[in-house]
Amino acid sequence: MTAGVGLELEHGDGAPIVATGAALVTRGKLRGYADALLAELRSRSVERALVLSDDPLDILRAVDACDRAGADLWIAHTNTPPQFIDDTLRQFGIGYLIGKLDEARDGATGNPPAARIHMMTSGTTGRPKVAAHSLKSLLSRVRGAASFPANREGKWLLTYQPTGFAGVQVILTALLSRGLIVVPEQRTPAGFYEAALRHEVTQISATPTFWRSLLMVAEPGALKLRQITLGGEAADQATLDRLKAAFPEARITHIYASTEAGVVYAVHDGREGFPSAWLEQPSQGVELRIRDGFLQIKTANAMRGYVTESEQPLLGDGWLSTADRCEIKGDRVYVLGRQDSTINVGGSKVYPLAVETFLLGLPGVAEARVFGVKNPVSGALVAADVVLAPGQDKDEAKTRILTACREGLAGYQVPRILKIVDSIQVGASGKKG
Amino acid sequence: MDEQQILSQIQQLVADIVSAKGAKPGKIDAATELLGGGVGMDSLDLAVLVRELEEKTGHDPFADGFIEFRTAGELAKLYVR
Repeated sequence: MTAGVGLELEHGDGAPIVATGAALVTRGKLRGYADALLAELRSRSVERALVLSDDPLDILRAVDACDRAGADLWIAHTNTPPQFIDDTLRQFGIGYLIGKLDEARDGATGNPPAARIHMMTSGTTGRPKVAAHSLKSLLSRVRGAASFPANREGKWLLTYQPTGFAGVQVILTALLSRGLIVVPEQRTPAGFYEAALRHEVTQISATPTFWRSLLMVAEPGALKLRQITLGGEAADQATLDRLKAAFPEARITHIYASTEAGVVYAVHDGREGFPSAWLEQPSQGVELRIRDGFLQIKTANAMRGYVTESEQPLLGDGWLSTADRCEIKGDRVYVLGRQDSTINVGGSKVYPLAVETFLLGLPGVAEARVFGVKNPVSGALVAADVVLAPGQDKDEAKTRILTACREGLAGYQVPRILKIVDSIQVGASGKKG
Repeated sequence: MDEQQILSQIQQLVADIVSAKGAKPGKIDAATELLGGGVGMDSLDLAVLVRELEEKTGHDPFADGFIEFRTAGELAKLYVR
């Protein structure tokens, strides 16, 4: 096995690393947790492990111990269907499950492990896409941000799903900059604000939708933010301006990032879009171009590991294509948004097909069409038209369908606008209109 | 609709949205902050509320961009024409 050095946490280091509610855990304590896990992995000769937890402590001790053990690690979302978790455990012969309660399983020997970290795209239904990284490559992506002086010993509010790419980036940035990761007790705007106040958060990385809702609950002047970062959706000028007015001391950055390419660009001048000059002169080590109205990227950081069905296909000439449409106006390039069928609900991507598949799997549903509807608060909302099998009470069926959606789908995937219709039009292509 | 009528629409819609999640809706008046802790709404619930109000009033005050509001009363004012 190719064992690494892990996260280089030190015994007895009294600096706090994770705050959940009022509870603080220090870096030294985390090192102890990771050591215990490492001993367990070694004694069982575990080659592959999977962490299933939203607690940054579980994710960090899993990353650290697996790297030092040379074991491959899968980071799974807690809202992934149990069936997919079971399939993954079986398919790869994963011998250890890390979470609230760690659990040894019957692992199998397969390909020799190489301390790879497998991360999954979101997707409560359908199969999540999996991308392989090394700890080294993940850390190198955040090193720039972590070494920025204003980020030193910052206190980071963890607004993103902790197991997702953005969440892991925030966790690792806080770790490298000797910062604190602040986890809210409740993932509501009021819960996030309460946690931010309690721990005097100084850095927040979040989607524009999150920022708009935080601005609605935050008392002016109560938070002393040093760094504000917007990502996951295109940042609009109105939100950038409101943040500038509410937090005049903070540096405001909006970023464009993807699982495949990492952070593609970061803009600090407070204006939406990015300078057109970047199309001529590579900025931040990344080349950008627009082809047929779509943004394309060339970066040395592009993930080259094994990916199941990449979302950003690598073109023949080494460029990555994106589904984001762009427009050049004067000295600025504006990102207009995705032109595929993906619905961006407050920074979370929803695949209509996955939700349609879920709806069609419910008893009494004959046909379903899922689409996005524009919304001033969240960018878009998921809407669904549903045709019922004959002989059902419409109101009763609607309640039943919505309850099933709330139980089986992530909050952002649940159709917020659900209509029971008599039929769904099918176009000439045979596709649902 | 006048401000008072829209406010009672907001109260009804918030109660529907929150109880549909299986939670107990809190009492709201014009001064209640919609995303404050007691109401039980998250930003996606707020997105739904804004959409339903557009349907009920036939008016979209956000057509030209987002307008700031915090309380139920401030939101109600936006729909008065």
